[in-house]
Amino acid sequence: MTTPALEITNLQKRFGGLHATRDVSLRIMPGERRLLIGPNGAGKTTLFNQIAGDFFPDAGEIKLFGTDMTRLPTRHRVHLGLGRTYQVLTLFPQDTLQHNVVLALLGHQKGGWSMFGALTGRSALQDRAEAALVQVGLGSAVRRRVAETSYGERRRLELAMALAQQPKVLLLDEPLAGLSSDERETVSAVLDSIPRDVTIVLIEHDMDVALAFADRITLLNFGQVVLEGTRGEVTSDPRTREVYLGH
Amino acid sequence: MNRTLLGWALTVAALALVPVVLHSDFYLGLATHALILAILALSLNVLIGLGGMTSLGHAVYLGVPAYACAWLTANAGWPALPTAIVAISLGTLLAAGFGVLALRASGLGFMMITLALGQVVWGGAYRWVSLTGGDNGIRVEGRPHPFGINLNGTLPFYAFVCLVLLLALYCLWQLDRSAFGACLRGTRDQPRRMRMLGHDVWRIRWIGFIIAGFWGSVAGLLYCYDYQFVSPQTLALSQSAEALLMVVLGGAGTLAGPVAGALIITIIKTVVSSYVDRWYSLLGLTFIVVVSFMPQGLIPGLRRLAARGRT
Repeated sequence: MTTPALEITNLQKRFGGLHATRDVSLRIMPGERRLLIGPNGAGKTTLFNQIAGDFFPDAGEIKLFGTDMTRLPTRHRVHLGLGRTYQVLTLFPQDTLQHNVVLALLGHQKGGWSMFGALTGRSALQDRAEAALVQVGLGSAVRRRVAETSYGERRRLELAMALAQQPKVLLLDEPLAGLSSDERETVSAVLDSIPRDVTIVLIEHDMDVALAFADRITLLNFGQVVLEGTRGEVTSDPRTREVYLGH
Repeated sequence: MNRTLLGWALTVAALALVPVVLHSDFYLGLATHALILAILALSLNVLIGLGGMTSLGHAVYLGVPAYACAWLTANAGWPALPTAIVAISLGTLLAAGFGVLALRASGLGFMMITLALGQVVWGGAYRWVSLTGGDNGIRVEGRPHPFGINLNGTLPFYAFVCLVLLLALYCLWQLDRSAFGACLRGTRDQPRRMRMLGHDVWRIRWIGFIIAGFWGSVAGLLYCYDYQFVSPQTLALSQSAEALLMVVLGGAGTLAGPVAGALIITIIKTVVSSYVDRWYSLLGLTFIVVVSFMPQGLIPGLRRLAARGRT
């Protein structure tokens, strides 16, 4: 039997009286594209935060390719093959795009923190960063500062930083949020180009793109899984309509 | 000649010109003292400018090595080299230990822990009279003679401090442009993101803390050589606050900023105070004016003005 890429079992998280994650269980198979949907406050990003290790769950288990990482610090999860982009952009705006990706590469390298020699002189690292930027269509903006780029380019930079680390499982938190229709097309094309050996879990409100992208869909509401299934199963289920439209 | 080389050449030339311009031993001694404080400010800049960690206890790394140097020289009769090695090592080890405690928090919590640790050490120096001499401090007779060069003269000691300052500037310049410097700045700007990129944020900050402690200790050793006397005042909160002021006034995150801040504050404190009774008010006013018009400090502010002038 194939080991799931990401397996979440009975995950619980409370913030005081608020049940942010309630008995959530997911099995996401290698190469799968899983879409998480649900109204605002359903607990999607909170679930991502627990998978990434921003905070620990009160109960339950999170496994990456069979390795229990429920209590591991974030950096160890990254070294196991987890990557993530953020809904609210978290970049280094005063630095170049290339420098941002170099920081991502350094985080994945043992002994990357050399105190000797200029970082700009480490050509192998710089070349890899440039290649990651080319992959997301930012080859012409490598040496531009992030502060001088458009919002869409920053979204693609987020992707480049995550992809540069060659993750096995990638969590994408609303990668299309705030983009124009042209930019959405560009980012969608980048998402489509990600090879199948990377498992993707996606939170996205642009249903046209997200539904076309996903293999399976999980609907969350009030921190718990309402239903899970294929595109057809979820869209035709009356509970989806009820959760989204309230009737 | 590129801008970096030009910068280094101008720095060396400016340091070499000081004894030519200042004919008096008093003013050269003052310049020497300002340069020692510049090394202290540069060390604090590693924490504030690169790491985004505002410390209110940095005088510990000035005072403890200064005490160690004074005690080992005056009471144990140790020669200069082992004394220097032990004094700097002690300051650096203390930074490693205090870093573990202080880095349990960030922001205001970090600042309060460093303040508390600084006050504990200051209190110890003040009360542990049998070791530190209490309020009377410890006096040292004469300065060392490295490689047969007598540092008791004002000019040779100034030259020695210049060499150490240049070494500190070079090492910290290398640090700033290195992979580690980039990671330290990353933890300052986006710690959460750095964790998600696989970095050990705590360890990066801790190493930064130790580096700051090392260069602070170097300043402490020179401070002991300079005054040939050390008292609890070296460890006082006012000393930490002054170092902080130097960094913020000159411009955190730059190499020239802390040096400029140290020079300005030393001049106001020692030269202007001879003519103006209310020199503390003048110091405060200078600080308010600079941060009002140049919130990032003097050097970044002047750079911005120069850039505006070019366009």
